[in-house]
Amino acid sequence: MSSVKKQEELQRANLLQGTLDMLILRTLLYGPAHGHQIGKHIQRTTNDFLQMQHGSLYPALHRLEKRGWVTAKWETAPDRNREFKYYRLTEKGRKQLVVEESQWKQMAEAVARVMWPAAEEG
Amino acid sequence: MRWPSKKRDADLERELRADLELEEEEQRERGLPADEAHFAARRAFGNETLIREQTREAWGWGWVERFLRDLRLAARVLVKSPIFTISAVATLALGIGATTAIFSAMNAILLRRLPVPDAQRIVYLMVPEGQPSGASNTGDSDSSFSLPVFEALRDNPAFSDVMAFAPLSTDKVDIRVGNDAPEQASGEEVSGNFFSGLGVSMPHGRALSSEDEEHGAATAVLSYAFWTRRFSRDPSVIGNTLFVKGIPFTIVGVAARNFPGVEPGAVTDFWIPLQRRVGLSPWGNSGSLYSSPDWWCLQLIARLAPRVTPEQAVARVTPAFRAAAFADLKTPVREQEKLNLVLSPARGLEGLGDYDAEPIRILMALVALVLVIACSNVAMLIVARNASRESDFSLRMALGASRHSLFRQLLAESVLLVFAGGSLGWIFALFATKALASWARIATGLTPDGRGLAFCTVLSILAAGIFGLAPLRIVARAPVTGGLRTASGSSQRRGRGGSVVLVAQVALCFTLLTSAGLLLRTLLNYEHTNLGMQMEGLLVFGISPQHASTSAERSAFYRDLLDRMRGVPGVESATLMQERLGSGWSTNDEPTVDGVTIPFEQVPLRVNDVGPDYLHTLGIPILEGRDIADSDTAASRRVVVVNETFVKKLLPRTNPLGHQLGGFGDPKHTPFTIVGVARDSKYRSVDEAPRAMAYYPYAETGDAPATMQVELRVHGNPLAMIPAVERAVHAMDANLPLEKPMTQAAVFADSYSDQRLFARVAAFFGLLAALLVAIGLYGTLSYRVSRRTGEIGVRMALGAGRRQVLGMVLLQAFRVAAMGIVAGVPLALLCGHFMGSMLYKLEPTDVATLGGALIGVLLVELAAGWIPAWRAARTDPMQALRSE
Repeated sequence: MSSVKKQEELQRANLLQGTLDMLILRTLLYGPAHGHQIGKHIQRTTNDFLQMQHGSLYPALHRLEKRGWVTAKWETAPDRNREFKYYRLTEKGRKQLVVEESQWKQMAEAVARVMWPAAEEG
Repeated sequence: MRWPSKKRDADLERELRADLELEEEEQRERGLPADEAHFAARRAFGNETLIREQTREAWGWGWVERFLRDLRLAARVLVKSPIFTISAVATLALGIGATTAIFSAMNAILLRRLPVPDAQRIVYLMVPEGQPSGASNTGDSDSSFSLPVFEALRDNPAFSDVMAFAPLSTDKVDIRVGNDAPEQASGEEVSGNFFSGLGVSMPHGRALSSEDEEHGAATAVLSYAFWTRRFSRDPSVIGNTLFVKGIPFTIVGVAARNFPGVEPGAVTDFWIPLQRRVGLSPWGNSGSLYSSPDWWCLQLIARLAPRVTPEQAVARVTPAFRAAAFADLKTPVREQEKLNLVLSPARGLEGLGDYDAEPIRILMALVALVLVIACSNVAMLIVARNASRESDFSLRMALGASRHSLFRQLLAESVLLVFAGGSLGWIFALFATKALASWARIATGLTPDGRGLAFCTVLSILAAGIFGLAPLRIVARAPVTGGLRTASGSSQRRGRGGSVVLVAQVALCFTLLTSAGLLLRTLLNYEHTNLGMQMEGLLVFGISPQHASTSAERSAFYRDLLDRMRGVPGVESATLMQERLGSGWSTNDEPTVDGVTIPFEQVPLRVNDVGPDYLHTLGIPILEGRDIADSDTAASRRVVVVNETFVKKLLPRTNPLGHQLGGFGDPKHTPFTIVGVARDSKYRSVDEAPRAMAYYPYAETGDAPATMQVELRVHGNPLAMIPAVERAVHAMDANLPLEKPMTQAAVFADSYSDQRLFARVAAFFGLLAALLVAIGLYGTLSYRVSRRTGEIGVRMALGAGRRQVLGMVLLQAFRVAAMGIVAGVPLALLCGHFMGSMLYKLEPTDVATLGGALIGVLLVELAAGWIPAWRAARTDPMQALRSE
């Protein structure tokens, strides 16, 4: 039982590899958000299929910040009377999102062509 | 770098805190109780430390910080287990230090070149076959040439320069500066191009010149060391007078600081041009250089001409060399072609070649064994220690530490250990090299140089690599959950690899103990060899009458001196001899008995010109006839005393008394009549085999030596007599120093000082090896016993007695010892085989030595095994089983 579950987690983790940056950038397209919100948003949008790993999320956020695709600022949350570190998409980040999106699309199409050749013909 | 990273850390901390609190609030809002919400939030977050570490890495400075942190942590961990740290660092330091010291010594002796420009073009000229028969030599038969040979070679275009040099005396020569007291210094006479040909610069004054040589000018150049020691680097010394054997020389220059001269392993104090005058002949000989064309007394060193290889040079100069060598000797051409000239690359201490290089190579091999033991020991210590930390590692991995980070930490510990060991080792090497140089009496001094440092560094890095890999095995294998349980199952398997190392160590230890034993027993053999004379109460010193220029004058001087010596209170008897006993020097001749000359190759005859009462003073028993007496003078019948080997070899089955010995290879001489036979005694050194020996009265040879050794038998401490003896000598001539006054026993003891050095060094290595092996074995056994606590508890619960447990652990130690000795015997025999030439009165297969080494190894095993065994025997079965 536990081994099956472990395998499932592994699949999810693999899925996230390399695409996490894109998902974060895409999420930030809606507007500034803090780490917790970003993680929750991805999790919720995928119906909990992508279990957010904090161990990957924060390094990814800081990596994006270092590359200048996002900026960060401490701001007070509207619903809680406390400051959170809000990430905001930069112009450079927007461009990067376009690049990653098209790459992902190509990749997905390529994979699909191999996996379901009949569907392509039909 | 620190500041932004610190700020970022705080920022990250705040961010995580904020998000974690938010998560917790959300969990609470979902209806969870406060404490459960707290843990649920943490679970959702996962491993916070890991998040922090990975995020930090995103900023790129991670590895530097990580490295510093690893080092800090490693240092803390090491400080917490001081016994392990100290033994590992000390083991490494001793291993690396000893190796570096020996390497530096070998480097200086075998590799370093003369400190002159373009030193690879400098060669020593050698004649491996020795001098042509008919020519006389100096004892350095393979490196000596005659003056005509030098003249024939010096202008050959194969060489840019050929330089000749010869010492003024076999040891030091009497000098005087101004009106100061007479003293001694080592001087050489050299050709005029000596300094210019070698390219030695003169910081003060000028070098010797060809004109100086041509005129036999009374000029002298001082070595920098002598200038410093004797004149405190006073530049005004140029132009002052240096009296050499009473003859005034003008100091014209001081040689470059780094130039110790070309005498192998020795420092020359001053140089003068080759001299024509009688009394300044090379080697302190009584003749003159230019009057003895058959005397091969000059050593030659040459600078190859540009673009000429040594082989080409030999081919070009050999005809001229042979022509000059055989000019006056009617030797057949076939024989002439057997004499070969060889060029050997000039290195600073080249002459030490045969004499000292072999033992140094053996010492190098021994120290390499020590290093192997040291390195394997440290590796075993680390492996055993990390194995006992396995559960600790498992716990940390369960808490989220990555294997990578554990490995990094172990590597950092190894690096720290090796760094500390290497630094300490370097300091140790500094002292060890100095000690080695003074033990070995290499006056030019040894310092661990750049190459030694490089060697040390490479060793350290290799060690770091090996020890860094050792923990890798453990970490890679450490099971996350398995380690948390009691781990005792795998100890057997791990034990095997460790045992192989232990057995190898014991084998090496046995080899080292055997080598040390052989050299120590050799030393004992030297010390207990019967020298054939009464050694106690003998004082010897040299004397060179400066103002006596003829043989008759010198004879008169010596007679007077002997009378005065006999008059000194406390002197029982006194005599003279040309060659000091035990000094390594000897005079040799072809014996002519009753008119028949026996070839030197058949019976080499050793001779010494001696004074009256010779046998009596030295305490050499007289077997037949009488001693040399005061009545044996130039005016009386010529007599000689021989030894029992002489009789055995040359006059067997007959009464030797009355037979005639015609000396000096000259049939025109009146023969000497044998009047006495003495028991064999040692002449040149302790380890020589008995040889036929003739004692001539110096007064009857017609050529009294320029220097004689005075031997006094005194009451009480011989050295306490020196002031009184000195007063008596100065009453004759205030300019005469006592040359190297010492007890006769000390002269002989010095003759095997090398052997003493080797024995000491080898004994040190042997003890070091034994100590290291004991530490290693102790560590390993303790570790194994601690792993087997449960098993031992079961055995004891089932009725095993303490003695049985004790025996069980000790048996393990002795099994290792037995296998090690089995492996070590062939190794020890091989090592002994190579040491054959260093042994005296001892076979490399000496059973007593092997037995001693065996007992030594068993003692080491017992000492190392006792404490763990005793601890195992004291195991409380209940406690052991409970902890299982």
